[in-house]
Amino acid sequence: MIGRRAAIAALCAAVAALSSVASSAPSPAPDILVSRQLLESQQLQVGDVVSLSSDTSGANPRSFRIAGQYEPTPDPMRLGAVRLEVRMHLPDVVGLTAQSDPLDAESVDAINVVLANDDEARATVRRLMTAVPGTLAERTGNDERRAAPFVVLERFHLAIAIVTVIASSVFLLALMLMLVEERRATVGMLRLIGFRRSRILQHVLAEGVVIAITGALFGVVLSVVLEGGINRFFQWRYDTALVFVHITPGVALRSVTVAVPLGVAAIFASSWSLLRGEGISLTRR
Amino acid sequence: MRALIFAVRSLVRQPGRTALGIIGIAAVGALLFDMLLLSRGLVVSFRDLLDSVGFDVRVTATDSPLPGGIRLTDATGAAAQIARLPGVAEAVPMRTATGEVWQTGRPVIGLMLTGMDPGARRPWTLITGADLGPSLAPPDLVVNQSLMDEVGGALGSEVTLRTGCDSSRAALAPRTFRIVGIAQFPFDDEAQRTAVMTRTALREACGDDKDEADMLMVASSGGAGAAVAAIRAARPDLVPVTNEQIVARMQTQGFTYFRQISAVLSTITLLFGFLLITVLLTVSVNQRLAEIAALRALGFSRGRAAADVLLQGAMLVGAGGILALPLGFALSLWLDQILKAMPGIPASMHFFVFEPRALVLHAALLVTTALLASAYPMWLVARLPIATTLRNEVVG
Repeated sequence: MIGRRAAIAALCAAVAALSSVASSAPSPAPDILVSRQLLESQQLQVGDVVSLSSDTSGANPRSFRIAGQYEPTPDPMRLGAVRLEVRMHLPDVVGLTAQSDPLDAESVDAINVVLANDDEARATVRRLMTAVPGTLAERTGNDERRAAPFVVLERFHLAIAIVTVIASSVFLLALMLMLVEERRATVGMLRLIGFRRSRILQHVLAEGVVIAITGALFGVVLSVVLEGGINRFFQWRYDTALVFVHITPGVALRSVTVAVPLGVAAIFASSWSLLRGEGISLTRR
Repeated sequence: MRALIFAVRSLVRQPGRTALGIIGIAAVGALLFDMLLLSRGLVVSFRDLLDSVGFDVRVTATDSPLPGGIRLTDATGAAAQIARLPGVAEAVPMRTATGEVWQTGRPVIGLMLTGMDPGARRPWTLITGADLGPSLAPPDLVVNQSLMDEVGGALGSEVTLRTGCDSSRAALAPRTFRIVGIAQFPFDDEAQRTAVMTRTALREACGDDKDEADMLMVASSGGAGAAVAAIRAARPDLVPVTNEQIVARMQTQGFTYFRQISAVLSTITLLFGFLLITVLLTVSVNQRLAEIAALRALGFSRGRAAADVLLQGAMLVGAGGILALPLGFALSLWLDQILKAMPGIPASMHFFVFEPRALVLHAALLVTTALLASAYPMWLVARLPIATTLRNEVVG
């Protein structure tokens, strides 16, 4: 009922004891894959034969041939950690790490299971934990525990965004107040030659919408332009393939949805004193 | 003094604009202040947490200062040898394991277990009940409040515990322990369930005849550096590290994300503040060109006119900067609360921690921003042609 896929991916933490041996002579050494970071830091090449040991002193080493390099799966929780890693076949890991205890050769850290029917995941987890006491079985998908740090970070970024929007709104309001001040005489003239308040209000709102939409679109374009630069900088800084900034249509739409009404509101609020004033007083004559 | 009063009057004459300018700078300044607190908050908090435990050196078998890695062997002998070294006050072996509390008809409760040899210092604070004693029939267990709440018994009650001592070993048979006290463990997060027993009890529960420990907790008597040097000389096979070295390592690896985001947001807020002040002062100067030209015609020097602009900028930034401090403090409490929901963060750790240097840096950055932002409007005022400006204003 349960399809089972062998858990082959095993990491060897014996990097400290790694040393290059020879590269030319043919060897029966088993194949391993080496992370790009380890390959670069130790100046290794594909085809090299290296000695690995699970002992920090380098005791009891075994020879392996580097069959290829790989890029470690980006992991935000390991940001800043240098990924010095090796992947090898499970029997090789067991052979390298097993000690005198006969159980060592029979032990693995985890078994990855692929279910024929995803809907049975919860029931299967329950059955496994009941059938084999001391075993921890959990779903890999929809794992709230793993996603929790990123949910928290998302909340933090949202909070920062709220503060930034508040500061921007105040800035915008101050700017618009000054611009409106410059147009006090113009509005006064319009009132004196017969323009109604509602007509001027329409004009102000139309202008506000145009400015707000232009500003919001400029902001989206700027963020799209900066997206590549920011990603490249942090990918270089942390030596990772992680994507740090990703402007999706949803994010862009949300930004515009927040920015445009705020911009219009700022223009309307700053123009309020002009709309309420009498024409003659506005012209200051 | 007159220049100051004149600048104050210029600002007060346009209260709406001035108030908005101050509020804008306060909002930007608050964010900047928070980012400065965040930049070192975790490091300072983590260092305080390590120091609060009472041990300032950790000795491990490898260069990893965290428990759960390769254990050091002959722990009792190593601890005794290190404790005899000059500059060492105490050395206590510590071993960690996982555990499960088994109760009939109730779900299994997972927990983190620590086994420590008795010593003068203990890295937990007893809240109620008794501390660990030598009893092994059944062994004593001190638990945190979270575990006590889940177990639901009273002090003195017995619990059945299955220990997980090695990931490559089969599950061990459950054993009975007696809960003798409730303690606060400094590295616990809000939801963590923790218990501590003597290392002898843990060894027995693990069915282990090996005298192993994850680390030796060492308290120095003459400074951590001297203790580390003495340990290195006596036991070159072991790796002693000071709290400062652990903090330095975490600073370059573990906490780097928050330092980066702090640096990015600090730069953005400063740029934002610079734009805000520049625009406010420049537009203000442009609207007052006739007035400034008239003042120059009446005898105000270039320097005096430029100083007026600079003082206006300084007062806006000063008022906004002062307002930013309580605002930033309140904001930091909110942001800290959000980030502390992150799993695995000890409850006593904080992301935003106040240091006097943050205050000094905050003031220095705002002053620099004010000076830079005032430069362009000051230049406009200093270069203002008096006659041409007056004529243009009159004709306009």
